[in-house]
Amino acid sequence: MEGKSYQRLPKIKIREMKDDFLKFELRDTDASMANALRRVMIAEVPTIAIDLVEIEVNSSVLNDEFIAHRLGLIPLTSERAMSMRFSRDCDACDGDGQCEFCSVEFHLRAKCMSDQTLDVTSKDLYTPDHTVVPVDFSDPAGDESAEQRGIIIVKLRRGQELRLRAIARKGIGKDHAKWSPAATVTFMYEPDIRINEELMETLTLEEKRSWVESSPTRVFEIDPDTHQVYVVDAEAYTYDDEVIKKAEAMGKPGLVDITAKEDSFIFTVESTGAIKASQLVLNAIEILKQKLDAVRLSEDTVEADDQFGELGAHMRGG
Amino acid sequence: MDTELNLLVYPQKPLLMTRTIELVGYDKLGAGQNATVAVMSFSGYDMGDAIVMNKASLERGFGRCTVMRSFSTKLQSYEYGIQEKTVRPCSEGSDTKRMQLDMDGLPAPGEIIKPGDIVINKQTPKDTWNAFGNRGVEYKDTPVTFNGLGGEPSVVDKVARFSDFGGICGIKYLMRQTRQPEVGDQFSSRHGQKGVCGAIIQQEDFPFSERGICPDLIINPHAFPSGMTVGSMIELLGAKARVSVGGSPYNGSAFEESSGGADKVEEICKELVKKKFSYSGKEFLYSGITGSCLQAYVFMGPIYYQTLRHMVMDKMHSSYQSKPHQLTRQPTYRSDQDGVRVGENERNCLTAHGASMVIFERLMLSSDVTTIEVCGVCGSLGYYNRRSGKKICSSCQKETDISTQKVPYACKLLIQELQSMNISMKLKLAEEEINDDLLNHVAVNEF
Repeated sequence: MEGKSYQRLPKIKIREMKDDFLKFELRDTDASMANALRRVMIAEVPTIAIDLVEIEVNSSVLNDEFIAHRLGLIPLTSERAMSMRFSRDCDACDGDGQCEFCSVEFHLRAKCMSDQTLDVTSKDLYTPDHTVVPVDFSDPAGDESAEQRGIIIVKLRRGQELRLRAIARKGIGKDHAKWSPAATVTFMYEPDIRINEELMETLTLEEKRSWVESSPTRVFEIDPDTHQVYVVDAEAYTYDDEVIKKAEAMGKPGLVDITAKEDSFIFTVESTGAIKASQLVLNAIEILKQKLDAVRLSEDTVEADDQFGELGAHMRGG
Repeated sequence: MDTELNLLVYPQKPLLMTRTIELVGYDKLGAGQNATVAVMSFSGYDMGDAIVMNKASLERGFGRCTVMRSFSTKLQSYEYGIQEKTVRPCSEGSDTKRMQLDMDGLPAPGEIIKPGDIVINKQTPKDTWNAFGNRGVEYKDTPVTFNGLGGEPSVVDKVARFSDFGGICGIKYLMRQTRQPEVGDQFSSRHGQKGVCGAIIQQEDFPFSERGICPDLIINPHAFPSGMTVGSMIELLGAKARVSVGGSPYNGSAFEESSGGADKVEEICKELVKKKFSYSGKEFLYSGITGSCLQAYVFMGPIYYQTLRHMVMDKMHSSYQSKPHQLTRQPTYRSDQDGVRVGENERNCLTAHGASMVIFERLMLSSDVTTIEVCGVCGSLGYYNRRSGKKICSSCQKETDISTQKVPYACKLLIQELQSMNISMKLKLAEEEINDDLLNHVAVNEF
């Protein structure tokens, strides 16, 4: 591995942080890195989700598989997921879900006794384990919103009953989307907008205005005093090329030069609530590191050749 | 009980309405889902109207459907009140595992039945002429096995006993299966833009926009010129505007823009711009695989998609050997147990490749090859008399210069059928011209 080092020191600047929302800048790295992080967040950060359902009584209108599928999609608080085991690698149990290292058991018992329709929600899922519970979407401020009731699983009429046992396991989004902690993970390249001031000054105020308005998003603005066009929000630019086309239509090509900065990304991360958005990013970095370690460890070994085939030679620097 | 039912698990209201849809109440009984469609080429698995689907969308319930099929078994009744009956499942023996039944010999709703399992533990009387009625009649086991819906495990949804006007009793049972879309299942928008699912791809590999929108499915742009479905594009724009602006759905009725009956595309596009979308409905996407920008803007938005009932699970079949046709002795191509036919197109394809030996093998050796005796003198068919060990020509009525030939059985049949209509077909045999070089070549190869 002799030779030039390509190591870079990426920087992260957090712009906005809430429990389930995070916006940050990632600088001094390239698209491969940013995308790896995005992909890991979607597909490889583990969470806990209901994986096995045993239905005892179901006289509701929805069939068993339907309810099982709905249960699976309920996000469960998964701070513990990183330290848990996959039930397939768990030595302590035979994978039946009764084991503290790899699974959590839930019970649901609901029966409608009144004439009013009973909503069975995620809050009716009972578990003795307080670390893994259905995500609570209620506002901490405590106003009686509709979301406070949790996620509706099924509605029961008088006399209908639902009784089941469910086992939640650790998993990753690659295996099933229910294990994906990410609701939205996306990034954009930071735009670099340069207005050709000289050319801009050749425009009349009217022309400037129509040019500014040609952008579907509010990127440019005109200074009311100096009548100068300036960039008000570069990130609002959606790479739609509208202003460039407009400039060409006005007979002023090169009025503005817009490029994407190859090494700065603006990430938006939204979590399902299973883990905090900030934790999601940290976990993703941790997993990415583990994956790289696995490559590094097997780099010089014979197994590397079997494992990576032709790639092995590349990794040894050949 | 309906013989077949296909239910969509999560039906939705269409985002774009037309007047007829309102009239027929299609919005009240949805038959599809609003899928975010990206019109672009992706992975090559979208050729020829195929669509590429997002695995995460499917797992979250897109296109998921419940298939229900009813089956019925009659309980035959005989004279003297003797009848077939259902009995409690056996508690020991080899069949116990295949028999997850209630005490009445019928399955309980909610039970998972695997293919090959017994659904009805039926018994048939051994003799039906016993005048003493049910007493003393011996029964034998004639259990009904379930072959599965498309060979997959299914759930019992409903079980009912019935009797028809003839007094025949029986049991009807409804089997249920919940299916997630798989490669080969068919989908269609409301414009007849149907296509099979060509590939299911992980969400992280799918393109995404900087707003975080990731399509549910990708269709190839080639579908538009061949399908000539302008409505499809109008629907996409209308639905996109509807979903971003909110309010009542746009009216997309055809040919009614001028009379004011439908919303104009122009107006819809203006709404899109208000919500910071491009007026053309195109979006700037990033590749999910590399993270770099896609070179072109992609037309993306919601289109109402329906899951069609043609599913590979029901259609896929293969066979090693099947019962040949009685008359022609050729392999059959009728049921699930039969194989796949090398039809005319396939034969033409093989011909184009010059794969004559493959044609020979498929159409003759693996099909209906038979040996016939041909008379060298008159050219008609002869036969081999096993008792005398002589080959006799039936036309010359004596032992002649007869040679054995391999022909398709259908050919032999044709000769004989023509013969029965007073047309005599003669086979003129000639000594094969053997090329010495070729023979030597073969000989060298063999040793």
